[in-house]
Amino acid sequence: MSTELIVLLTIFIPVIGSFTIPIAGRISKSARSVWSLLLGGATAALPLFLIPFALTGGQVIFRRPLALGLDFALIIDPLSIFMSIVSSFVGFLIILYSLGYIAHEDNQNEYYLMVVLFIGSMMGLVYSSNLIFMYLFWEIIAISCWRLIGFYRVKEYVLKADKAFLVTFFGAVVMLLGFVQIYGNTQSFDLMDMRGTLIPGSAVLLILFGMFSKSATVPLHTWLPDAGVAPTTVTALLHAAVLVKIGVYAYARIFLFTFDIPPGWKEAIPWIAVASSLVAAAAATVETDFKRILAYSTVSQIGYIFLGFSVATPDGISGSLLFILMHGLAKAGLFLCAGVVIHATHKRDIREMGGLIKTMPLTAVSFLVCAFSVIGIPPFGGFFSKFLVIVGTVKAGAIWVAAVALFTAVLTMFYLLKVFSQVFLGEAKAAAHEGTRSMVFVVTLLAVLSLAAGILVAYPMKLAEVATAGISWWLK
Amino acid sequence: MTGPMLLLPIFLPVAIALIAILIPSRVRYVREGISVLGSVVLLYFGYAFFTIKDLTWKVSWLGNGMDFDLRLYHFSAFILLGLAGFLFLITLYSTVKMKNVPRVREYYAYVFLTAAFANGATLSNNFVPLIFFWEGLLLTLYGLITIGGKDSNRTAVKSFILGGFCDFSMILGVAILWKITGTLTLSEISVKPEGLAAVSFILMVIGAIGKAGAMPFHTWIPDAAIDAPVSVMAFIPAALEKLLGIYFLARITLDFFQLEKNSTLAIVLMTIGAATIVLAVFMALIQKDFKRLLSYHAVSQVGYMILGIGTAVPIGIAGGIFHMINHAMYKCGLFLSSGSVEHRCGTTELKKLGGMRQEMPLTAFGFAVCALAISGVWPLNGFVSKEMVFHGAVETGYIVFAIAAWVGAILTFASFLKAGHSVFLGPRSQDVPAVKESESPVLIPILTLAGLCILFGVYNKLPLKGFIEPILEGHVEAGEHLDFSSHALALFNPIALISVGCLVIALLLHLYGWRKAGQKAYLASEPVHKFPVIKQIYDLAERRIFDIYEQGVRFLKWLSGVLFKLIDRPIDAVYEKGVTAVGRAFTGLLQAAHTGHYANYLAWSIGGLLAVAGIISLLLR
Repeated sequence: MSTELIVLLTIFIPVIGSFTIPIAGRISKSARSVWSLLLGGATAALPLFLIPFALTGGQVIFRRPLALGLDFALIIDPLSIFMSIVSSFVGFLIILYSLGYIAHEDNQNEYYLMVVLFIGSMMGLVYSSNLIFMYLFWEIIAISCWRLIGFYRVKEYVLKADKAFLVTFFGAVVMLLGFVQIYGNTQSFDLMDMRGTLIPGSAVLLILFGMFSKSATVPLHTWLPDAGVAPTTVTALLHAAVLVKIGVYAYARIFLFTFDIPPGWKEAIPWIAVASSLVAAAAATVETDFKRILAYSTVSQIGYIFLGFSVATPDGISGSLLFILMHGLAKAGLFLCAGVVIHATHKRDIREMGGLIKTMPLTAVSFLVCAFSVIGIPPFGGFFSKFLVIVGTVKAGAIWVAAVALFTAVLTMFYLLKVFSQVFLGEAKAAAHEGTRSMVFVVTLLAVLSLAAGILVAYPMKLAEVATAGISWWLK
Repeated sequence: MTGPMLLLPIFLPVAIALIAILIPSRVRYVREGISVLGSVVLLYFGYAFFTIKDLTWKVSWLGNGMDFDLRLYHFSAFILLGLAGFLFLITLYSTVKMKNVPRVREYYAYVFLTAAFANGATLSNNFVPLIFFWEGLLLTLYGLITIGGKDSNRTAVKSFILGGFCDFSMILGVAILWKITGTLTLSEISVKPEGLAAVSFILMVIGAIGKAGAMPFHTWIPDAAIDAPVSVMAFIPAALEKLLGIYFLARITLDFFQLEKNSTLAIVLMTIGAATIVLAVFMALIQKDFKRLLSYHAVSQVGYMILGIGTAVPIGIAGGIFHMINHAMYKCGLFLSSGSVEHRCGTTELKKLGGMRQEMPLTAFGFAVCALAISGVWPLNGFVSKEMVFHGAVETGYIVFAIAAWVGAILTFASFLKAGHSVFLGPRSQDVPAVKESESPVLIPILTLAGLCILFGVYNKLPLKGFIEPILEGHVEAGEHLDFSSHALALFNPIALISVGCLVIALLLHLYGWRKAGQKAYLASEPVHKFPVIKQIYDLAERRIFDIYEQGVRFLKWLSGVLFKLIDRPIDAVYEKGVTAVGRAFTGLLQAAHTGHYANYLAWSIGGLLAVAGIISLLLR
């Protein structure tokens, strides 16, 4: 198979395939599950074949002219390949976990359709080399995300879904204005035509609205904790695999790979990122709802990813790319552990939980491992990504920013260990049993992967380095 | 031996850890056999490496200068040997003391993982693997403390967060140093601590002394003395962390930065050292639990090491490093003997113990030797290294630091007189039933360490010539003499006489307190405890006012609350209240405009038409 074909299949198998899921649902429940799993599996497997190509540092552009001078253009380079592997793989694991978690709910046809469409659109966005197509996939994701957050048709929950949709949609529209402004300057939407162009500060601001709203960065972040009303699988998908990684990916693709931004922004964005990280960590310390804590923790960690990209040193960029992987694995693990706990106890306030390590030891240990990875403790994967981001920040000369980022890491340590102690240790407050086999398998697997990604860090690091080299046109 | 052999001290313990966790709990002898045997093999290789002293191995790891680079040289070989020795003794001891612990598989796994991480950190010649192994120790320490008991998790979290804070400081320091020097290879770095480099120096020192357990990062140690198993205390805070922390501190001051005598940074270090000595020993003096008392000494003694290294004069530095290995030996021995008492008597409360010398003579002997060594009694090892530190402090000209060290010496001896008197001397306690002496796997480590304390004191030429002096080679100015052993045991010089005087004062202080308390040894420190002003300070300390962790957590909670209430919630209110209110007002306005009257709509249409015409004419002009 040619590289282009693999990428086209990676995008269109899930996007088109998702609409066949309701048909499979007509046949039987298990046919739908198997079919969804197959679609997710294919999406996860296909990009793996691109790894050898990515490691050579190659770059392929696929282009088909369409009406109105718009091209359907795909960019296949180490950055997009890395991102698609991480997203589709974590997405696949979440579909696997869903089989147990969602089995007793209504509207499963819609659920699987939206999840697979979600992952497919992510693939489309990642490989798009045209701002308009990026925007298109961006909004498809917003729509499926809206349906998924409002999956339980409780009025309050639907309102939260509306909130998420409105905030991200507002951001995306403002971003579109930024795209239009750039078009006014360059007469092009094609990223490859515009590499190295200096864009005005106003366009940066407009586009940042889109990225920050999607990646839930302060001050456009509060929809994400509220989106915790969704099924835990959906929250895991939003936090770990797909949604919040869009903004950071777009940052790397647009502000690093393509454009040059004014120096003032280069200094301001690291501060915004680290401030967002700190405020979110503070909120996570105050909250007592299990899923809201984890949601704020995501906001906080996204700040690190933005930080590494925004300082634009090779270590920082590689660190942020690794961060996407490590955070994806560990945060998916944390949410899915939370899912096991919530499924078993029917409670969400951590003050009402306790002693669960006795009845669900595997989930407890997996949670702890993933928490250590998020904190950034060796030998788990999160250590390397956080370390590289910090080092990259210092090397860019932003020592105070790095100091605040490390302080935030201490806060992260504090609240995650507090959650672990309250939920899993101490006196048992409610009877609970371990989750179903597929659920426990997935959380254990994610914990093992978080460890493996740390011990075998040299492999993902190689890919991240190649991607960094491909991004950094200003160093060539 | 070849370069890849350097992986053995890292991977062999990992393999043993995996085996230990895989063997079922019931198969006791196999697990213990493999553990003891493995530690013997490691000890052998520790010795073999020490005889080679020169080996390197390097592979690319993360790229961009972040290599997996290991280097064996004199200093790291010495630390490696020390770590292997303590691992062997602790493993042997654990076969008896830890045999009935519920999570025994995890215990052995954590102990050997700790050894692997510590060996890796010692051998690393690149900061990235160094931090990798160094910070990894947080995990195993967390695990080991939780094995202790019901409330141990709180202490485990405390140790983790304090350690994490210090490690993160070190990461920042390393990053700054990388920015300045452009390299991560330890053996290539040597800068003057000025400007940004001074910031890096301080941050890295926080990492080193945090690991060594100096003030103010020590507060988990006394808590762990109660909550964690005693073998963990003997292994980690008493021995391993001292070796690692002081090793790294010595590397910082000798290699990475050229610390100069009486520079500001040197004085900062000496101040930290002196404060740690005095404040921790004051806390140790009034403790009423055997293990907790020892734990404060584990803090206080770090002060001597930091003070010695901070003097930046050869005899002081050598004294600091010598004190490190001496302290590791006698403090490990002391914790193990307290464990032996706990093992047989079931308690370590001084009040409940007494007169145990009859039934546990060997434990009592081991304790006595180690206690006299830590107190700096001639001719034991503690005397030699403390004298060297005193000499170094006097040589800097800042007598105040020497005085602080002497005050520490007085109170150290006084508190050990109290502890030894309460536990082993005096009338036999009625609270403890008749007991036997502990088994030999418990006694062998204690007596070995006691023997080493005598050996390193009487025959101090062996450690000083064999271990310490080569470390300083290349770091002293030409012509400066490097032979510390010739006068090491000299009693007739002013400094040694002051030290001896301190011991006499301590003895008198103890006897006075003992008499005053109605011959109850465990209350012998009460005169100091009840002394005006000091009593108030003690009360504040008991309420954890000075505990950096308690205050830090309060600060984190306060800050979180403030940021949450002042930034996060107002932002959310804008979306929840502001946006909806604006939306409602806007739709309300439109609703009001749609009255249903024909004339009204006509007016709107004409108005719109005029507006469109106006814009078009404006554009056409």
